[in-house]
Amino acid sequence: MYILVLFMPLLSAIVSGFFGRKIGVKGAGVLTSSCIVISLIVSCCIFYETVLNSSVTYIKLWRWFDSELLTTHFGLQFDSLTSTMLIVITTISALVHIYSTGYMSGDPHIPRFMSYLSLFTFLMIVLVTSDNYVQLFIGWEGVGLCSYLLINFWLTRIQANKAAMKAMLINRVGDIGLVLAMIKIIEEFGALEFSTIYSLLSLNQIGYINKEGITIICLLLFIGAVGKSAQLGLHTWLPDAMEGPTPVSALIHAATMVTAGVFLIIRSGPFFEGSPLVLTIITIVGALTALFAATVGVTQNDLKKVVAYSTCSQLGYMVMICGLSNYSVSLFHLMNHAFFKALLFLSAGSVIHAVSDEQDMRKMGGLIKSLSFTYVMILIGSLSLMGFPYLTGFYSKDLILELIYEKYYIAFAYWLGSFSALLTAFYSIRLVYLTFITNTNSKKRIFIRAHESNWNITLPLLLLAFGSIFVGYFGKELILSNIIPPIISNSVKVVPLLLSLLGALLAFVVYDYISLKLKFIRIRGLVEKAEWRGLMLDLYYMVYTFFNSAWQFNYVINHFIVLNILNFAHLVTYRIIDRGLLEIIGPNGISRLLIRLTQKISNLQSGMVFNYVLIMIIFTALFISGYRYF
Amino acid sequence: MDYKYTRVGVILLILGVLGVVLNRKNLIIMLMSIELMLLAVSFLFLKISKVIDNIIGQIFTLMILTVAAAESAIGLAIFVAYYRIRGTIGVSSLNLLRG
Repeated sequence: MYILVLFMPLLSAIVSGFFGRKIGVKGAGVLTSSCIVISLIVSCCIFYETVLNSSVTYIKLWRWFDSELLTTHFGLQFDSLTSTMLIVITTISALVHIYSTGYMSGDPHIPRFMSYLSLFTFLMIVLVTSDNYVQLFIGWEGVGLCSYLLINFWLTRIQANKAAMKAMLINRVGDIGLVLAMIKIIEEFGALEFSTIYSLLSLNQIGYINKEGITIICLLLFIGAVGKSAQLGLHTWLPDAMEGPTPVSALIHAATMVTAGVFLIIRSGPFFEGSPLVLTIITIVGALTALFAATVGVTQNDLKKVVAYSTCSQLGYMVMICGLSNYSVSLFHLMNHAFFKALLFLSAGSVIHAVSDEQDMRKMGGLIKSLSFTYVMILIGSLSLMGFPYLTGFYSKDLILELIYEKYYIAFAYWLGSFSALLTAFYSIRLVYLTFITNTNSKKRIFIRAHESNWNITLPLLLLAFGSIFVGYFGKELILSNIIPPIISNSVKVVPLLLSLLGALLAFVVYDYISLKLKFIRIRGLVEKAEWRGLMLDLYYMVYTFFNSAWQFNYVINHFIVLNILNFAHLVTYRIIDRGLLEIIGPNGISRLLIRLTQKISNLQSGMVFNYVLIMIIFTALFISGYRYF
Repeated sequence: MDYKYTRVGVILLILGVLGVVLNRKNLIIMLMSIELMLLAVSFLFLKISKVIDNIIGQIFTLMILTVAAAESAIGLAIFVAYYRIRGTIGVSSLNLLRG
């Protein structure tokens, strides 16, 4: 049964990928969906056995690396962390599979799409179930590869190609960190299995273990997590990855792939406990990511990019709380986030599907009548995202902020987190308002035709909405059983909640007021203090552009890093070294030298007899005189 | 020991060499210079054979005279054949084979 959870997605990927032509479009959809549903049922059973009955399972499949002191098995490990991740992955994946059969209908390459989705699920399961770092690395690279294939699914689009390459390459930067961390781990511990390493780490107090080595390992692991989880610095691939189809965004960039980085941090918790320095760095980076992505999310106009930046922001929360050693809270937020973020993405997909693939929120509006079901779904998702009481997000997000408040030395993370909670509420409500409530901006032809989709799009939304409402309540006893909520005053406890509500209200008021005021100005022609207004507008546009272009990160990275590296690659390594030095020292230069030399030598043979005689005499004289000396 | 005649022989040899090397005009002069070198060598052989009181030097001299006669005969024959084809026997016109 434990291997079945791995085997079913692999089977469906292979069948749908290689025999897609045989089983047809409908067959591929049904087969892959049912395989993942079986996998979901199995992972529920695994959850029951390993978490509720608290029996951790280890399965050693075969011996993989066996050289001198390093022995690594191909093995599976099912503990509470793995089974929670399994539930998340298989649930979201199964719903996304069902959703895709509706959303992608009419696309000529559905079997390929389904195969990629299943392969992605398989590799993600490999990632979470491995019992050593190498096998985790298979999954780690595999999900990167599948994200490339899926973002690039519409491979005729140049933007999709570029976004896929960007995702792959930026992920590769983090992967280097993970590889180096593995090498360092082998050097320090001589093993790659989690159980061996963590039991060795328990000797840390006695001082057997090199502290600096652990700090380096932690930093490298964190670099890996930064790449995969889109933390500040290596986050630029995540918003661009919205070029893929919407179910892909929901599966990869909301629920599973980006959580792999957080999973790595949680899994490597014992390492991070040995290095307070890296824990502080993690908290700071996570908090900055949360704030950064929230500010950017406020000004985005693309429906999917808003949700993508909110993913980035929520990942910042998860990483931030890992920095305070509350790994189970991070895991809990990861689980809750998977549900409401998948709901948001799939609802956004439903909206996009309804308005004939228009993604710009400024060209939507007024869809509340025609898409009332999706409106309810997206409202549940948004309220859950902003941590509205009694919804899923509330149970983890507010707990995160409370736990951070307790740690006085890092109080600024609390304020960053709280402020990004405000912004989260702001852009969630902004999204709902601009898409559904405000007056419509879309073309009449499109607006009239907007309608709900059929059951295989709405059913996953409904199930995910249930998840977004109830998962937090049911999961908190299971996952947070060892967390004692800190004792803090009520006034502090309500601050994040008040800030969220304030943000939501603010969004509503601002957008309502702006639309009213614009009308007012247009009617009355009221322009007062023109220069003052101009200055304000300039300032406003400057700030708006800054946030809208994501703090100019793309520009800075492209201009100062990528462009310089490209120039260096062309000018120095290609032109100077490859075509220059190596060719001069190598074949070209030597052949040219030899040709010139031989031409000079053969010019000696001028055809003039007296020259020949002179040469003969000179060399005879040299020969005779040399003979005397030797 | 008497170096006087050795000097004469060496000077004759060098004159013959210079005659070959510096001569840019006439092929006959070249042949004559070669004859001069052979004569100088014969002279040195004779002188040394006298000094060390050995007959082999004189036998060699006779051989060299024979060879010199044959060589000048063949050389002149080549010149005649060459002159028939080219119409001239200038040294500087002998440059058809270049490296």
